Amino acid sequence: MKLGFLRTTAVCLAAALALSACGKSEPKVEAAGPAVRRVTEAQYRNVIADLFGSNIVVVGRFDPLLRNNGLSSTGAWDAKITPTGVEQFERMARAIADQIVSPTNRDVLIPCAPADATKADDACAKQFFAKTGRMLLRHPLPPEQIQVTVDLANKAATTFNDFYRGMSVGLASLLVSPSFLYVIDTVENDKNGIPQLNAYAKAARLSFLLWNSTPDDALLTAAEKGELNTKAGVKKQVERLVASPRLESGVRAFFGDMLGLDEFEAIEKDTIIYPTFSLAVAHDAKEQALRTISNLLLTERGDYRDLFTTRKTYISGPLGRVYQVPVPRPDGGWAPYEFPADDPRSGIVTQIAFAAQYSHPGRSSPTIRGKAIREALLCQKVPDPPGNVDFSQFNASDGTNKTTREKLAEHRANPTCAGCHKITDPIGLALEKIDGVGQLRQTENNAPIDTSGDLDGVAYQDAIGLGKALHDNPAVPTCVVSRMYAYATGRAPGASGDKDLVKYFGESFVGDGYRIPDLMKRIALSDAFLAVSAPKSKAATPTSASAAPGSKEESKS
Amino acid sequence: MEPAGGLVFYGILSCGIMRLTTKLGIILTLRCNSGARYLARSDLSSGSRIFARAVVTAALLLAVCGPTQSAEKPSKTLGFVITTWDTAIVETQFGDECPEGFATGNDELWWRGLPKQDRARLTDNGKRGFSERFGIATNRGPNKENVCLNPTVVVDPPHKIVEGATSFGMNMDGTTDGKTTPKSCQHQKFTGVDGTPAVDNQMYRLLGCTYGWHFYGQYQDNANVNRKTTGFGINIIEVTGVDDPRNDPDVTVNWYHAVDQYALNAQGDFTPFASYRIETREGKSPYGAPAKGKIVDGVLETQAADMTLPFYGNYTWMDQKYRDLKLRLKISPDGKSAKGMAAAYYDVDQLMYYITGLGVVSYSAQSNCPSLYVAAHQLADGYPDPKTGECTALSAAYNFDAVAAFAIHPDAAATKQADAGPIKRVLTALGIGE
Repeated sequence: MKLGFLRTTAVCLAAALALSACGKSEPKVEAAGPAVRRVTEAQYRNVIADLFGSNIVVVGRFDPLLRNNGLSSTGAWDAKITPTGVEQFERMARAIADQIVSPTNRDVLIPCAPADATKADDACAKQFFAKTGRMLLRHPLPPEQIQVTVDLANKAATTFNDFYRGMSVGLASLLVSPSFLYVIDTVENDKNGIPQLNAYAKAARLSFLLWNSTPDDALLTAAEKGELNTKAGVKKQVERLVASPRLESGVRAFFGDMLGLDEFEAIEKDTIIYPTFSLAVAHDAKEQALRTISNLLLTERGDYRDLFTTRKTYISGPLGRVYQVPVPRPDGGWAPYEFPADDPRSGIVTQIAFAAQYSHPGRSSPTIRGKAIREALLCQKVPDPPGNVDFSQFNASDGTNKTTREKLAEHRANPTCAGCHKITDPIGLALEKIDGVGQLRQTENNAPIDTSGDLDGVAYQDAIGLGKALHDNPAVPTCVVSRMYAYATGRAPGASGDKDLVKYFGESFVGDGYRIPDLMKRIALSDAFLAVSAPKSKAATPTSASAAPGSKEESKS
Repeated sequence: MEPAGGLVFYGILSCGIMRLTTKLGIILTLRCNSGARYLARSDLSSGSRIFARAVVTAALLLAVCGPTQSAEKPSKTLGFVITTWDTAIVETQFGDECPEGFATGNDELWWRGLPKQDRARLTDNGKRGFSERFGIATNRGPNKENVCLNPTVVVDPPHKIVEGATSFGMNMDGTTDGKTTPKSCQHQKFTGVDGTPAVDNQMYRLLGCTYGWHFYGQYQDNANVNRKTTGFGINIIEVTGVDDPRNDPDVTVNWYHAVDQYALNAQGDFTPFASYRIETREGKSPYGAPAKGKIVDGVLETQAADMTLPFYGNYTWMDQKYRDLKLRLKISPDGKSAKGMAAAYYDVDQLMYYITGLGVVSYSAQSNCPSLYVAAHQLADGYPDPKTGECTALSAAYNFDAVAAFAIHPDAAATKQADAGPIKRVLTALGIGE
C-alpha cells in the first residue's frame, strides 16, 4: 500500500514537473541583426568530407578564431579573413578541386562525362556546377552564376586542352567564394512584413548547429519548398537532423569547443620529464574525450552530469601506455574501456586530455586545472593573475615545500593572490595524483599527495569526490546550457532578455533529464534561434545586399 | 503463509555450501543441498523448523550487517616485454678468460692458406674486403664446399675457448662437480658472477673468446637492433596468479610471442605498460610453456620447463628450442622494468644452424664454422644421445632486459570462430551447429 502511494506520488510529481516545464512559454528576446560568420576549420573539413568523401585531403592552415565567452566558435561570428588566410583558402581550394577531378575520383564525383575530354563541355559543366554549387553555397545557384562558373571552366579547358582542368578551375572558384567561406544571414520579410531569415539561411543555421556541416539535399529541398518558413516544417527537419547519426558531429564540435580540445593537438610537453607523451598520445587523448562524450550523451542518451563520474571510455594503444592499462587493440584501433571500481579515475576531468591540457609542459598545475573547471565547466570567470606575482617563494628550491599543495599554500597565504587561488586550487588539488600528462602518481618529491579539497562548500577527498561534486553542482548544467546557447546563436548570455531565455532552456534541460540532444533540439526549435531583426544600415538590407546568397546579384559579384 | 525468514532460508539452502563471516568474526558454514531443503520443509517438527529458521535468519542478518563473505582478493597478472636478449658473456678487463687470445675467423684461416699470388688474384690485389670475398673464403673446402654447411670437410686449428672460472648461469645438471649423470656429460663447472657455486654455461665456454659474441660485438648488438627496428621475435613473459608482486610463493610463468611492434617513446626508448597481442595458432600459443615459480623480494624464479621461443636477429628468423629453461627475473620496485637471466640447454645443431645462417655477418665477428663445430660437440654437456652417449646440447645462459607490458590474449570466442574454418563459420552464421 505504501509502495503504491509512493509510486502514485512520484508519477504525479513527475507529471507536474513535466507540465511545468512544458507549460512555460519561451521568453521573448530581442532578435539580433543578420550576421556573417566564417566557417570553422572543422566545418570546412566536414563539408568537403560530406560532399566529396573523406578521401579528399584538406591540407592547409586556417586563421585562428578569437576565443571569447569560453568558445572559439563565437569568434567566427565576427571573423575576418587575413590576406594570408585568403592565400591559404585559395591553395586549399585548388588542391581539393584537383583531387575531385582526378582520374581516381572523377567518375564518382562528376555526374557526367564530356564528349571529348580535351575540350570544354558546356552541358556537363553546367550539370556539375548546378548540383555541386547548390550544396557548397547552401542554396541553388541562379542561372547567371552557374554560367559565370561554366564560362570560367570552359576558358580554362580550352587553354589547357583538358576538360577536367577546366572543371578544377571552376570548382576552385566556388571553394573560395565568400558565400562558401561565410555563412551569411540573408533576411527577407514574411507576409506580415516582419523580417525573417530566408529559408536557406535557416537551413544553414540548423545544419551547422546540429551537424556542424552544410545542409543536406533534403534540408535544402525543404528550404526550396518553403517548409522552413513554417514551425511544423522546421520541427520536422529538426527532428530528422537530431535523429541522424550525424548529430554526433554537432555534439563533438560543441564539446570540442567548450572544453578547448581544438587547441589540444598543439600542446607541448617536456619529453624528458614525460617520455610517454607523444603526438599520438595528444591526438588520441582528444579523440578519447570526444568518444567518451559521444558515447554517454548520444549512444547511451545519458545524463550530461554523468560525464564527471563515468568510468566508461574508449582506449587506444598510445593511451594505454599512459594509463598503464591493457589495450585490446594496440595496433591503432579503439576499444571500449571501463576503469575498474577501485581505479582513482572517473569522469572526463581525470582523463589525459583534461589533465595534460591544463598543466604546464613539465608539471601539473592545480591552479590552471581549477581555473579551467571554474571557467569551462561552471562558466565562472577567474581573473588573470597580476603582472607582478612573486614566484620566488613558490619556486624555492630549498626543499621545504615538496608538494604543489605546500607550494600553493604560499599563494593562498598572500592576500594579493589568495582571492583567486582560493577558488581555483582546492579544485585542482583534487587532481594532483594525476600528473602533467595524465599518469597516476602517489607521491611528489617522495612526499605523499593530499588530494582533499572542496568545491563551493562540498568537501571531497580525491578526484572521484571532485567528480561527484561537479555532478551535483547546479552550476554545471546551467553552464552547459549557457554555452550551448552562445554556441548556437553567437550571442553571449547576458544580453537583454537572454538571461530569461537561458533560464528557460536550463529548466527544460532539467526536465528533459539533462539530455544534450534534447537541449540541442529545444534550442533549434526555439523562436529565438531562427529570429533575426532587420539590418540596421541600408547597405545591409535584403533588397540591397548584393552578395546575399541566392540573390541574382550574387552571381555578378 | 510462509514467513519471510523461511523464504530466505530455502533460497540459501539451495546453494550447497555457504561460508558466512559475521562482524564478530564468527564463521558459519552452512552445508546443505536439495535433500536438506526437503528435510527442513517436511520432516522437521514445527518447533524445530521455527528454531532452524531463527538460527539461519539470525546468521543472515549478522552476515549482512558485517563484512559479508570473506571474498578472496583477485590475483594480479604481471607482464614484461623483453627488450634486449644477449648470450651471457663475462668479459674481464684484460681478457684473462681467453689467455690465448680471441678465436681465429674463417677469413683469416682462408687467407693464411693462400699462396701470395692467389691472394692477389682472388682479392683484386687486396682491394676486395671481407664482405666481398665472403663467398670465396667460405667455399674453401677441398672441392670448393661451403665449410659452414660442411664443417667436417676441413680440419682447422682448434677453437679458442674460455678458460676463466667465472660465468653467468645456473646449475643445470644438479651436480656440484660436473660429473656425468643420466642427463649430462662430464664438464667443468663455473662459479657464478654473484658467487653461486657450480653453475653451468658451456655455451659461454664455447663462444666467450669469439669477438662477435662480446658486448658491442656484431652478433649481440646487431640482433637487438634488428628486433627493435623490425618488431620481429619479441618475447613476452607473463606471470599469473600473483597475490603480491614482491613476494609470492606460487605463481605461474609463461612466455609468448608478441605480434605488435615495440612501443617506443619520444626518446626512442622502450615504453613500459604497452600492450602487445600474442600470437596464437588454433587458439593456442605456439611458443612458451607454463612453469611454476615464486617471487622473493621482487625476484622471480621458475622451475625448469622445455619450450620453443621465437627468435629474430642478424636477419635470421628461428624457432629456438630451449630445454629445462629456468628463469630468474629481478623486478624493479616500481614494477616498470626488470632484468633477467634465463638458463637452459641449447642444442648444438640449432646453434650451428644459426651460425651458418649468419653469412657475411660472421666476418666482422671473427667466427669460423669448422672449429666451432668441433668444439661445440666436445663441450656439449646436456642431453646425451641414447645411441652414442655423446651430449647434444650446451648449457647456456642469457641476460635480458625487460619493461612492464600487457600480453593481450585473443578473445576466446573470436579465436574459436576464426579457427573454425569456413564451413563451420557458415554453419554457425546460419544458426546450424554450435
